[in-house]
Amino acid sequence: MVKRIVRYIALSTILLIMIFPLIWMFRISLMSAGESILVKNFVSSSVTFQNYLDLFKQMKMGMYFFNSMLVGLLVTLGNILFCFMTAYSISRYKSLSNKLLFSSVIFILMIPAHILIIPMYLLMVKLGIYDSYFALILPWLVNPIGIFLVKQYIDSLPSSMEEAARIDGAGEFRILFRIVMPLCKPVLAVLAIQIFFTNWNSFLFPFILTQSESIRTLPVALALIQGHQSIDWQHLMAGSSIAVLPVLVIFLFMQRQIVSGITSGGIKQ
Amino acid sequence: MKTIVVTTIFIILSTSAFAKTTLSWWQFWTDPNIKPVIEEMVSEFEKQNPDIDVELTDLTWANGHEKIVIAFASGTGPDIVELGSDWIAEFAVNGHLYDITSDISSTKSEYAGWGMSTYNDKIYAKPWFLGTRVVFANRALLNKAGYDSTFAPVTFTQFKEAVYKIDSLDKNIYGFGSNTAEKHRLYKKFLPFFWSYGATIFDDENRLCLVASDFAIKALQFYKDIHDSCGYVDTQRGIEDAFLDGKIGLIISGDWLLKRIENENRKFNLVSSLIPGEKYPGRSFLGGEFLAINKASDKKEAAVKFIDFITSPDNQVKFCKANRSANPSSKTACQDPYFASNVHLQTFIKQMNLAKHPPVDPDWVFIEEAIEKAVEEALFGDGLPATAMLEARYKIEEIKNK
Amino acid sequence: MIKRKSSAFLFVLPWVVTLFLFWVYPIIYSFIIGFTDRQLLSKDYSWVGIANYTKLLSDQQFLLALKNTMIFVVGTIPLTTVIALVLALLVNKQFKGRAIFRAGFFLPSITSMVVIALIFTNLYQRGGYIAMLAEMVGYTAPQNGFLFDKATALYSIMGMDIWMAVGYYMLIFLSGLKSIPDELYEAAEISGASKIKQFFSITLPLLKPVMLFIIVINSIKSFQVFVEIFVMTKGKFETATIVYYIYEMGLTTKFNFGYASAAAYILFFIIAFFSLFQFYLMRKRNTAW
Repeated sequence: MVKRIVRYIALSTILLIMIFPLIWMFRISLMSAGESILVKNFVSSSVTFQNYLDLFKQMKMGMYFFNSMLVGLLVTLGNILFCFMTAYSISRYKSLSNKLLFSSVIFILMIPAHILIIPMYLLMVKLGIYDSYFALILPWLVNPIGIFLVKQYIDSLPSSMEEAARIDGAGEFRILFRIVMPLCKPVLAVLAIQIFFTNWNSFLFPFILTQSESIRTLPVALALIQGHQSIDWQHLMAGSSIAVLPVLVIFLFMQRQIVSGITSGGIKQ
Repeated sequence: MKTIVVTTIFIILSTSAFAKTTLSWWQFWTDPNIKPVIEEMVSEFEKQNPDIDVELTDLTWANGHEKIVIAFASGTGPDIVELGSDWIAEFAVNGHLYDITSDISSTKSEYAGWGMSTYNDKIYAKPWFLGTRVVFANRALLNKAGYDSTFAPVTFTQFKEAVYKIDSLDKNIYGFGSNTAEKHRLYKKFLPFFWSYGATIFDDENRLCLVASDFAIKALQFYKDIHDSCGYVDTQRGIEDAFLDGKIGLIISGDWLLKRIENENRKFNLVSSLIPGEKYPGRSFLGGEFLAINKASDKKEAAVKFIDFITSPDNQVKFCKANRSANPSSKTACQDPYFASNVHLQTFIKQMNLAKHPPVDPDWVFIEEAIEKAVEEALFGDGLPATAMLEARYKIEEIKNK
Repeated sequence: MIKRKSSAFLFVLPWVVTLFLFWVYPIIYSFIIGFTDRQLLSKDYSWVGIANYTKLLSDQQFLLALKNTMIFVVGTIPLTTVIALVLALLVNKQFKGRAIFRAGFFLPSITSMVVIALIFTNLYQRGGYIAMLAEMVGYTAPQNGFLFDKATALYSIMGMDIWMAVGYYMLIFLSGLKSIPDELYEAAEISGASKIKQFFSITLPLLKPVMLFIIVINSIKSFQVFVEIFVMTKGKFETATIVYYIYEMGLTTKFNFGYASAAAYILFFIIAFFSLFQFYLMRKRNTAW
């Protein structure tokens, strides 16, 4: 009994350490502008949603949110489609070229993307898509991690149904999308969440590949607003809370898929 | 006959419609209080010039410089761009800015600040607003430290004494708001002391680098002393927060602080005074925002018209009132009763006459970095002022000899 | 058969295009411009051989960035791994409310790094929450806040990174723990081995592959630290890392593409070593997945 209580106390303390910063963010976002931010006034400070209203009315938060959502959804859709197609092909057609292809997936998985900021920037300028939605979307439409994840899954599926359909004369596209895809739903859900999260939170590439405010995503906007003379913690934390919200909602409803995505190993943070 | 008339009218109408010029303008004013004023001016201009449209694009100080560099380098720069005074030479020397010397000759005497946009005797941008820094003090803390209610520091000795006296009032009260290592901000706080001690960055011929002179080292030592013993170190924003909360005695800041006090409805007993000097008030930092025209633009005539309109005395007064800006570039605008109405605005206007701008140099961003590095070394690192400044000199010489 | 081949080709086309356009090309291109003095503002540039590399190795700023990155990697990885393992062991057993604890521990690692960095900038500031906690346990917090002092800035950011990452690695440890057969523990129980002995003789050895995997992917990630530095200190107070240095050299005032690319390649060679190691581990673990 005592042992159990001790364990709960220990775990609760750790839990508090792990989630306090996020609670603190939310708490600050509700304080009124101009109020001093002090931990000892955690309870007694005011509660207002004015900061959120200000962000949408005066600071284009709606636009940043829209941009992040649009880019996130398109990239996620692209990955579901393209990673699936590539993974299926690699998994089922075991020719030499496909083995090479799979090696390329593994190889690229190992390349630290952050070292490519300079050539990526130059490439986007050369392609004429620097500072456009294309720069935010095109390079990330198919992801080696995703291919790897889906391929492992398809490997474990029996191919008998496909063979039967093939004998019945079904076309390859039909087999792919009508037969295999429904079977892959679980892994595609895992993939979708992972890709969406990564994209929603991503900062470095959107930051260096765009300049215009009209296509700026939320994390970039937050990081740039921070240096501004006239922003205070209350508004900054309200903006941060907005950025965390979608992740939190998805997390609450789809925890199982998120966990399985991570424990299946291939997914990087 | 009828058809000819109709056709002629049609042609005139259609060509005038096609002849509509669109000017692109990149500017930095995104503050929700100010943006509408800018937009209003633009639509007023469009009303007066029905054949010209103006397209606004907002820049941020966080990455505006990079954006302009990239745009000019790739040939996609706007027709008109707002530039910080210290960037003009850099863009001019790379051939991106249109030489407006002859276009502005008739109105030149009306404006101040040309020195910052003149490079090799050619003028590349028109001054819009000038900016300087003054000393702000907390009257209540000065009183507590034993000063009478008319006191404002004029000399280094007085300044230092006030800082130390206020700092010793209480453990949680600091004498001086000292900027942390923040790019583009720290050096603007140090240069006023640097100049007021009689130091200069280059000699009169712009050849020798003098940042390691005895004056310069003394200035850095002075700044380091008050930083080390009485400094509240934070970002500019953090310093101003603490100052308004009554935790700091003296800070150096710009006119935006006046705007903030008013916007937040603060009751604050503010003292503004000039940057101190050896015996008399010293020299502050002078900067400004300028409007420049892209050399590659094919609408230069319209662009000149537009910058003349935006910088007109009336529009400057309108803008200053909305933004609480203290220093219009137009001399007529300066005469507006608005600026006489407020004692702090007057401090800014006085300080403007005692302010100095950094050398107009295409390599300024690198020189600035070297100086800032030296100040950082002395304040936050282990460097002595003398060695730090000497290192800055070597770096600047290397930049200039390239 | 031909039909199948052509559709298979079609299926992999998006990846092949992405592979060559957005990965292979930049990797090669970056290597080449690393041998030139290319900059944004000057139109022509020339071949400088290995000059960029030799200059980098005597560039104080770069060496400091290299050192900071090493401190970051060496400092965070053991702590992250150990804490993640402890957390995993704590929530491995079935008990009431376990799901809540797991979710709570895990939450920081799916939050945006920009947001986390902003929150901690607030927590670390003068008079902030962490300064208050530090003083409660008798440690004098730096006068100007943790991030404006070169003695604490980098370590503070490292602490935040550990806090953020442990939940993620905890989950990986949990999946590793799950794969250890219960019979082993039962057998140990019968032979009278204590819990501690069981941990060292069964759990730890069997978790070794998982642990190696975690250490390797975490190293690769930690070598690329950038966002937190950009948001929290802008590389001041001796916190600049290699990726931050690359960014500053290549994409701000200087726009020194050639030099920055050479710096990127030095980092590439460092990480490549770890990557090869990871590749080896993945091949070994492939079947387990």
